[in-house]
Amino acid sequence: MITLEDVSKRYPNGTYALRDIDLHIGAGDFVFIVGSSGAGKSTLNRLLIREELPTSGRVVVDAQDVARLPRSRVSLLRRKVGVVFQDFKLLPTKTVHENVAFALIVTGHDGRAVREQTERALALVGLLPRRHHFPRELSGGEQQRTAIARALAMRPKVLVADEPTGNLDPVTTWEIIKLLVRVNELGTTVLVATHNAEIVNALRRRVVHLDHGRVIRDEREGLYAA
Amino acid sequence: MTRLAYVLTAAWHGFSRNPFMSAASTFTVALMLVLLAFFFVTDRGLQSAVGLLEQKVELIVYLRDDAKVSEVLQLRARIAKDPAVSRVDYVSKDDALKRFKELSASRADIAPVEEIGVNPLPASLEVKLARAQESRRVAEELRAEAGGPLIARPDDIIDNPQVVEQLLTITRVLSIGGLAVLGMMLFVTLFVIVNTIRIAVHARRDEIEIMQLVGATDRLISAPFVLEGMLVGVAGAAIALVVMVAAAGPVTSSLIKFLDILPVSLGANFMVQLAAGVAALALFMGAGGASISIRSHLAK
Repeated sequence: MITLEDVSKRYPNGTYALRDIDLHIGAGDFVFIVGSSGAGKSTLNRLLIREELPTSGRVVVDAQDVARLPRSRVSLLRRKVGVVFQDFKLLPTKTVHENVAFALIVTGHDGRAVREQTERALALVGLLPRRHHFPRELSGGEQQRTAIARALAMRPKVLVADEPTGNLDPVTTWEIIKLLVRVNELGTTVLVATHNAEIVNALRRRVVHLDHGRVIRDEREGLYAA
Repeated sequence: MTRLAYVLTAAWHGFSRNPFMSAASTFTVALMLVLLAFFFVTDRGLQSAVGLLEQKVELIVYLRDDAKVSEVLQLRARIAKDPAVSRVDYVSKDDALKRFKELSASRADIAPVEEIGVNPLPASLEVKLARAQESRRVAEELRAEAGGPLIARPDDIIDNPQVVEQLLTITRVLSIGGLAVLGMMLFVTLFVIVNTIRIAVHARRDEIEIMQLVGATDRLISAPFVLEGMLVGVAGAAIALVVMVAAAGPVTSSLIKFLDILPVSLGANFMVQLAAGVAALALFMGAGGASISIRSHLAK
């Protein structure tokens, strides 16, 4: 599903965000990307949705070379790769339902598809009872679940979560992680960039450890620290 | 809600969410369009006035008394062939005398011609020009023939280079200055629209970011802003048209009074064309200015 071949990302000031990365993530995988701040986790995520381009190497998502994608087709790539952020990125003037439906509307789905896919996504994350609430009326966990529902409503092949639990308390963190595992069980490839050693150690999933832009460890049933 | 409904409501929300800003830019656009229309009307009036004056530019060629009529006719035909010349009239000695008598009858300061006895006036060719700016060239070509069988001295070619130059200068200033003013006005209008939409884009930057992340196309992201720009343009044009219609009567009549000596006409369809032009321009500038703003944001 995702292949990085000899990928480097160097900024104009000469520092490397990523260096000589070779990584393959198969369809249906669940992968933790771990490493300290500035290790390159977010840069890796941004390369996958072409928010940034690699300085060298190839980034292939769903058999498409991301760097070669013309600008007009970037939108199609992003429909395949759902993203979830630490700060949720919800629209405060829209309800839970509207936030999720918004993604479908602006990607050209018809009225019926918008309704059905929104309902299904909200049901999956358990937010149907809260659908008419505004983000400010929700807990942090509920806000993150709304953001996940928005990503899932698009039926992406890959879900990329960048520090999805960074702003959440331990109990809520577990709720969100369980939800992501469930999403993965339903067939979506899931990448979770995180600092949270506890969840990584508890789940024993594949762990890719980044340090100063390099992969220093890639273990099938890994722990947060070697 | 479909995409179209989204675009329409987003455009309207953008326009109505910040009413002060929208109103300010709408009125600026309206003001610019009114000034533009006024400028067009004035320019059109002055241009046609100058055009009329230009048609009155002429050269006079005084002929020798002993010039042969056949040769004079040849010269006349030759001058008439010049594309810068619209017509050539032959004024015989008798015609000249007749005109002089008429003139002296109405003017006390000119001595009655009877006192002179003989006809001292030469025959002449009066050359009317289609293109006033070529008056100097035509005159020079004729002066080259001075000393020949038809024209005695270079002084026998009478032109008014200064008058012609001044007229041409006025025309040039009107068209170049007009274009410059026009250009500046268009620039200011575009600038106002670009900034209005830039503020709208800034206000909705989170929404734009989310749209980009979920895979909305640039075209769909831009559409509400372009529409909002057009809305500003159309609202400005509507106000401008109301002002123009209200002002059309007084302006036209005062312009005609101002240019009383000249039969200036703005043309029956001129106002309709002007109104259509103003509306189209407003729409175009609204869409164009908005596109500049949203595109520069998306390209970041």
